Amino acid sequence: MGEVIKLEHGGGGRLMRRLIEEVIVPAYRRNRVEGGIGLPEMDDGASIPIDGKSYVFTTDTYTVKPIFFPGGDIGRLAVCGTVNDIAVMGATPVALASSIVLEEGLHMDLLRKTVGSMSEALEEVGIPLIAGDTKVVERGGIDELMITVSGLGIAEKVITDSGLKPGDKVIFSGTIGNHQLALMSSREGLRLDAPVESDVAPLWGMIEGALNVGGVTAMKDPTRGGVSGALNDMARKSGVDILLQEEEIPIRGVVRSASDLLGLDPLELANEGVAIIGVQGEKAEKVLEVIRRSKYGCDAAIVGDVQEGVGRVVMETFVGGRRVVREPVGSPMPRIC
Amino acid sequence: MKRRAIVTIQGLVQGIGFRPFVYRLAVKRGLKGYVKNMGDAGVRIDLNGEEASIRAFLRDLEAEKIPIAVYAKIDVQWRDYSDEHGGFTIDDSDLGRREVKQSLIPPDVAICGDCLRELFDPADRHYLYAFTCCAICGPRFTTMTDIPYDRERTTMLDFPLCEDCNREFYDPIDRRLNAQTICCPQGGPEMALYHPTGSPIDVENPLKEAARLLDEGYTVAVKGIGGVHLAIKTTDDDPILRLRERRRKPGKPFAIMSPSLDEVEGYAAVSGLERELLTSYARPIVALRKSEPFPLSAYISPGLHTVGTMLPYSGIHYLLLHYCKEPALVMTSANYPGEPMFVSNEDAFGKLRGVADYLLLHNRRIHTRCDDSVIRLTDGQPMFLRKSRGYVLSPVALPFTSERRVVAVGPELTSTASILKEDKCYLTQHLGDIESPESVLFLREAIGHMMKLLRVSTPDVVACDLHPAFLSKDVAYELVEEFGSELVEVQHHHAHLASLMAEAGISPGEEIVTVDCDGYGYGSDGSPWGGEILVGGYEGFERAGHLEPQPMPGGDIAAIRYGRMLQGVLYGEIPNDELRSFLCLNCLDGFSMGEREIDVVFDQIEKGFNTPMTTSAGRLLDAVSCLLGFSYSRTYEGEGAMKLEAAAASCENDQVELPVDVEESGGTLVLKTSQMVRRLLELRGRHERGQLAHSFQRALAVGLAEMALRAAEVDGLNTIGFTGGVAYNDLITRIIRERIESLGLRFLRHRLVPCGDGGLSLGQAAVAAFAAS
Repeated sequence: MGEVIKLEHGGGGRLMRRLIEEVIVPAYRRNRVEGGIGLPEMDDGASIPIDGKSYVFTTDTYTVKPIFFPGGDIGRLAVCGTVNDIAVMGATPVALASSIVLEEGLHMDLLRKTVGSMSEALEEVGIPLIAGDTKVVERGGIDELMITVSGLGIAEKVITDSGLKPGDKVIFSGTIGNHQLALMSSREGLRLDAPVESDVAPLWGMIEGALNVGGVTAMKDPTRGGVSGALNDMARKSGVDILLQEEEIPIRGVVRSASDLLGLDPLELANEGVAIIGVQGEKAEKVLEVIRRSKYGCDAAIVGDVQEGVGRVVMETFVGGRRVVREPVGSPMPRIC
Repeated sequence: MKRRAIVTIQGLVQGIGFRPFVYRLAVKRGLKGYVKNMGDAGVRIDLNGEEASIRAFLRDLEAEKIPIAVYAKIDVQWRDYSDEHGGFTIDDSDLGRREVKQSLIPPDVAICGDCLRELFDPADRHYLYAFTCCAICGPRFTTMTDIPYDRERTTMLDFPLCEDCNREFYDPIDRRLNAQTICCPQGGPEMALYHPTGSPIDVENPLKEAARLLDEGYTVAVKGIGGVHLAIKTTDDDPILRLRERRRKPGKPFAIMSPSLDEVEGYAAVSGLERELLTSYARPIVALRKSEPFPLSAYISPGLHTVGTMLPYSGIHYLLLHYCKEPALVMTSANYPGEPMFVSNEDAFGKLRGVADYLLLHNRRIHTRCDDSVIRLTDGQPMFLRKSRGYVLSPVALPFTSERRVVAVGPELTSTASILKEDKCYLTQHLGDIESPESVLFLREAIGHMMKLLRVSTPDVVACDLHPAFLSKDVAYELVEEFGSELVEVQHHHAHLASLMAEAGISPGEEIVTVDCDGYGYGSDGSPWGGEILVGGYEGFERAGHLEPQPMPGGDIAAIRYGRMLQGVLYGEIPNDELRSFLCLNCLDGFSMGEREIDVVFDQIEKGFNTPMTTSAGRLLDAVSCLLGFSYSRTYEGEGAMKLEAAAASCENDQVELPVDVEESGGTLVLKTSQMVRRLLELRGRHERGQLAHSFQRALAVGLAEMALRAAEVDGLNTIGFTGGVAYNDLITRIIRERIESLGLRFLRHRLVPCGDGGLSLGQAAVAAFAAS
């Protein structure tokens, strides 16, 4: 029997990376614009160099359950997700396009609310949505609705996820784990201590401030696979080790205790309003200060250092040990024997 | 009557000071002739003299055997007396000696009787010298940097021989002839005492001062042969509790070391077999049954009926215990959680601040880290919990010859790696848990060092576990990239099965049934396995049966907080509200967040949220340990099962019967475990807890044996093995063996390698040797 696609293949972990590396990327012989960042880099977006500037182009499909969740909905998520992919490439978002697929029988109100949310998020960023497509599939063909949002940005200098250098500091721009935990708790009806809301937010304003300070060497949007996945990507692609300090990682008490209750690793939970930013050591404090003054960055913290190494993420734990932070597999999995 | 005897001995008789030993025996019996190394043909002894003296010599050869020597074959040919020899000589022509040395990788050997006498002989130049050794004893594996085994390729290179040592080294009749690691106070290594900051403490006798500090209750880090220990007194609770607090090891049993068997017998029962193990040249830690009442601190091995004990194995340890007033000292590896034991003085200085009060170190480098070995008796037979110092490298002879050279990287916890070359498989020393960058490095280095010693430049195949996230897999990928080897992933329990077959000498093409029980292994279907009945051989396997799958709410945290596992096992067996109030009343310590956690766990089980279904025997034993109140959470590997075993150890009569039902579903046998646990719940309070612990383990063993026997019958097989970490359990092993043997079938168990994950790399290597394309 041949291999089949498993849910884990979309989990943002090692399985998904291998799927893309082994099946998707090799399928396209033409996979970049000359001189730009293309498919093989597997970065948050691609770049197209024109006249000394770089256009950044990206696309993302949004499918989430429930479509309205604490702290946001699929519409806000779709706009913010694509804006953030552009932003972490160091580019000013210019415009978006969207394709919406609807399930037969979906309440019109839900669609109205969704596009309303998209519009609000666009207002916040100050960019237009300039093209779109709408399809309807029969009942059961999809679950309610799916949105694909593509976006264009423009950068003086593109920031990749592979530019970390030994001596850099690593910043988390906000508390981690909120988005996925909010989704899970509302989906499963879990009884948590306090309500957890998604962090879904557009980060361009904050990132623009950081870029203006200078010294930013790498950025990434830690969505599926959480900060574990994103940091492992950054370390591997940069050929460096990242040493995290567990006690510096910003995380809300309710997220920490809920993760502990449910057996989840907050480092592997998806975020939609956090950026991981690598900064030259001497600029780190200044960049942190600017981020903290921004709307979504008040909990930002320097969480670790970049060192020479083999592409590994290591965490110094509360109890004084050092453990390797593994690339997530795609779903939680026991290891203890 | 005068006669001549030509004696040829094959086995481990070269490069261990064997010829001087033979010389002394021959001279003692007034015999003439010579002893000579014959390369692959072993050692040849030509003896001329009275027949009675020759026979006495042959008796001496056995009775006074060098501990490390192994006589695989002794051949004696009687001839007519020859008077061509004027005396007895050691023939140094050394035919083939180079090849012998090439392949010799001797283990670390405990200080011998002769050296020990010198150590305490005021007239000897080795008097009170901690590094005293000779040709037949002393550190070897830990000091070797390469082969052949010569001083310049050991860490003793740093210490040139003095005139006296040099003379002994070349004196053919001296017991230090060709002894590569000998030394003395004239220029040999030295002990020194330090503050944890690294500043030296100026004392005349560092060992004596360290002993005084230990008697006062301080924690002293002691650098020995294969690494650094933390030592502390055993007659007082407070120092041990302090050490537990500092090391964040609330319950993990500590090993202890006593100066003599007499002292050991003051606190533990020692059987004849255990005495042999304790005094063997490997000097392993042996888990002994504690005396009642136990005169030492209860916090050495809280909640267990055994205490891990060893005798000193070097001058350092003999002297320390000699100066110390204590009957025993805790000697536990000094390391960070998840990291390997420290071996360098620099690490000790930097990393033991706040843990050790003083450091007793020396200036001999430890080239290769090697933890103490650990053995216990299970069902009357020694089992390796950890095969390391004193035993590495001793290869497992395989029932096949492989054209491919295989490196197996082992699993993740309590790991070893293996190298398979031709018809032997060499297991590394104990590597521990591969979770930190330091332990990944240790794994890589241990493999590299062994490849160098065994002259395996390029592995053809690299074997690893099937688990997608084990860090050992990263090392496997690294090796594959470096050497272009083929990668073979081996299912965890299949590797256990193959490990058992390989050490038992079962040939390729044959199949056996195994009861394959442990805490966890990634199953072929991705789910957590651990209570399996497998049928197969090196080439493949089938899952003939398993324990009833149980919810594991929260994944790994259910392996840590036993209450969650218990809740999963009993879920659906009794109404939720009853289960809830039982857990709240009796097992709240099995949760870390109280009643609220119990409610969330109900949610998780109902919705299947982050709740894998496991067939693990280890997890089931954890749950029962929690139900009966012996253990609520895991602070070290195997804790729940070990405490359950300890509780049952004093109960022999079995009055309580639990239901043992094996069902068949879709061709697979399933032992219904929830109903067993429910029945136990009903009986709780009506019987003594130890009795119930006994009954449960017995019922589990009966059920496992039943499934294995049915599988054997279906497939027409007559060998059933028991492997995996649960095979350490005395009671479960005994019952399974009795059931199988009573039906005339052959019962197989591990003898040469650990049945737990420490022996897994052997099986990985064996499977990979056949699986590779």
